[in-house]
Amino acid sequence: MAEFPFEISPMFEGERVRKEGMFVELGGPKSIGLELVRSKPMDEIEDDKVTIIGPDIKEMEEGKTYPWAMIFNIGGELVEPDLESVVERRVHDFINYCQGIMHLNQRYDVWMRISKDTAGKLDSLEPFGKAVMMLFKTELPFIEKMQVTFYTDEEEVKKQMDEAIEIFKARDARTKDLHDEDVDVFYGCTLCQSFAPTSVCVVSPDRIALCGAINWFDGRAAAKVDPEGPQFEIAKGELLDANTGEYSGVNEIAKKLSGGEFDKIKLHSFFDSPHTSCGCFEVVGFYIPEVDGIGWVNREYQGMAPNGIGFSTMAGQTGGGKQIVGFLGIGVNYFYSPKFIQADGGWNRVVWLPSMLKEKIDETIPEDLKDKIATEKDATDIESLKAFLKEKNHPVVANWAAAEEEEEEEEEEEEVAVAAAPMMMPAAGFQMPAMAAMPMVSGGAGGIKLTLKNAKISIDRLIISEKKEKK
Amino acid sequence: MTRVIAITGKGGTGKTAVAALLIRYLSKNGKFLLAVDADADTNLPETLGCEDVKTVGDAKEYLQAEITKPKPDNPDMNKESILKSKVYEIIEEMPGYDLLVMGRPEGSGCYCYVNNLLRGIMDKLTLNYDVVIIDAEAGLEHFSRKIIRDIDDLIVVTDASRRGIRTAERIRELVGELDSNIGRIHVIANKVTDANYEALVKLAGELNLDIIGMIPLDPKIEEMDIKGIPLFEIPDDSIAAVEIENIVKKLRI
Repeated sequence: MAEFPFEISPMFEGERVRKEGMFVELGGPKSIGLELVRSKPMDEIEDDKVTIIGPDIKEMEEGKTYPWAMIFNIGGELVEPDLESVVERRVHDFINYCQGIMHLNQRYDVWMRISKDTAGKLDSLEPFGKAVMMLFKTELPFIEKMQVTFYTDEEEVKKQMDEAIEIFKARDARTKDLHDEDVDVFYGCTLCQSFAPTSVCVVSPDRIALCGAINWFDGRAAAKVDPEGPQFEIAKGELLDANTGEYSGVNEIAKKLSGGEFDKIKLHSFFDSPHTSCGCFEVVGFYIPEVDGIGWVNREYQGMAPNGIGFSTMAGQTGGGKQIVGFLGIGVNYFYSPKFIQADGGWNRVVWLPSMLKEKIDETIPEDLKDKIATEKDATDIESLKAFLKEKNHPVVANWAAAEEEEEEEEEEEEVAVAAAPMMMPAAGFQMPAMAAMPMVSGGAGGIKLTLKNAKISIDRLIISEKKEKK
Repeated sequence: MTRVIAITGKGGTGKTAVAALLIRYLSKNGKFLLAVDADADTNLPETLGCEDVKTVGDAKEYLQAEITKPKPDNPDMNKESILKSKVYEIIEEMPGYDLLVMGRPEGSGCYCYVNNLLRGIMDKLTLNYDVVIIDAEAGLEHFSRKIIRDIDDLIVVTDASRRGIRTAERIRELVGELDSNIGRIHVIANKVTDANYEALVKLAGELNLDIIGMIPLDPKIEEMDIKGIPLFEIPDDSIAAVEIENIVKKLRI
């Protein structure tokens, strides 16, 4: 390893350079600061080269703030544009490994300080640039060649900034276009297991964490830095069902992390083996059997949903890391997913949203459904919801006719099924043994699933009658 | 190694004054320290002569709002480095020490992720200092959330009132319940007078509380308070400042 005039170690990572001990400040709240990593063809990179455009350390005035841009060019057989952001995230780490140099924030908000001690050992930023590139090439060996340009001249920094903003825009457009099928790994998060011990949060490009705070990119970054931490890789494994979002790798991890409580999680399903719900979720979805549709209520909404219960009660019922068929916690961003509950009809199944949530996510609601989804202004109970949906001819209405026909055929069964759903409502919020009961509506004749745990049931009389023959 | 000292107690017992006096003494005697105001009713900055501070609460809200936008502009943003930048930005650089104010409690959403990031940032930040002094509310919320994980000394400040001392006892019980790493628990009796001295010693003895210092009711503090002079400017020879020096020696900081 080459000798550098300052020490290099991960232990300097949180080092704070105070105003009193600061030689100069680069970028930051009082100026502009930029960092950018670009992939370039190998022959366009002069390896290990540091270029400084504008005043270098020896020309800088103590105590001053300078505009700042650093553009790293990377090359290598495995280097591709998609890796730029992964590499860029490490700039923060590696610069902070350098003693006496503080780096904060990212992209176009970069803020750095160089301490008097370190500046005293440097005439130029060159050794600093070389040190950072040495760290990159050591830790990320796929980088075969690297060069960097530092800008401290205001006009030049502004020019670089304008160009970079366009590059970031294009990069963001690409990331937004990333889907489950484009990646090999998803990420799991167990931050919530302290209060939801069997919760298995699976974060995929098309499914944000329930809390809305952790997306696939955060999972990737965190798992790379600390593979033993609360966010970790889940190998997708085999795609078992593209429509429901069922993967063998996800099922394995579900079984393992829930302690065998359940053995399947289908990422884009509402009824069958849905994602677990921790309690942190931003929005909870609830099945309304009377209209065969799904309503959603967000944490901020204070009122009641048409089923007569509010967010906190439903959250109490749904949370705790269980698969509760008929309820589903999600992060708001999941509404934007092209796979949003696609196994169960997607947006065509959505019948009710609080108006504040409907406004917030307006742009993602399919145009032809916007007027057909009710809010608390249109419907406050099941009857008014039914009337609204019928009047607007919501897609679920077509299912009612089909269901009625079947109902005649299987009257008994439906009765039990529909009765089972309201039965759980009063239980919400009470210390009630975990219980899930919900008709398998999509299939029509699927019957019901009842899970009773630690339940004590006393029944005076139970009549089970034979299914009526078809007339 | 950084020595982390948290100061708590019932409201009105003068815990913030004790914290300010400790900060004053230690920073004047060559210790580089971080002062943390972890009480939602933030009084420490004013006591130290610092006004209009931004808080970690603001930084958390900022990040929380940013990351829970329904459609983020940049899904691949480095949230840890953004939060760290915000926290480093709001650290108030005072002569000889830094001040960090935790501020308002969090909103209704899920802060697990943001708090987890903050934990990591605080772990590394505290390593910059010789001593960290935390002015904490009696409920010890920031410890229960483990934002600040390891406390070497927990100092409970009480006045001579029965309720003040009961609070000290309750805090001791609470600490037992928290699965937090708290090294030692000490009690400082504040606003001690000749009249309440005996009763205080007796009650503390009954509850088996270890009193490491008794700060007399100092007319100088009352006078400064009325005039609105920050306590940081108290003269070295005032009786409270002298007792703080004794306490620091006992704590072997």
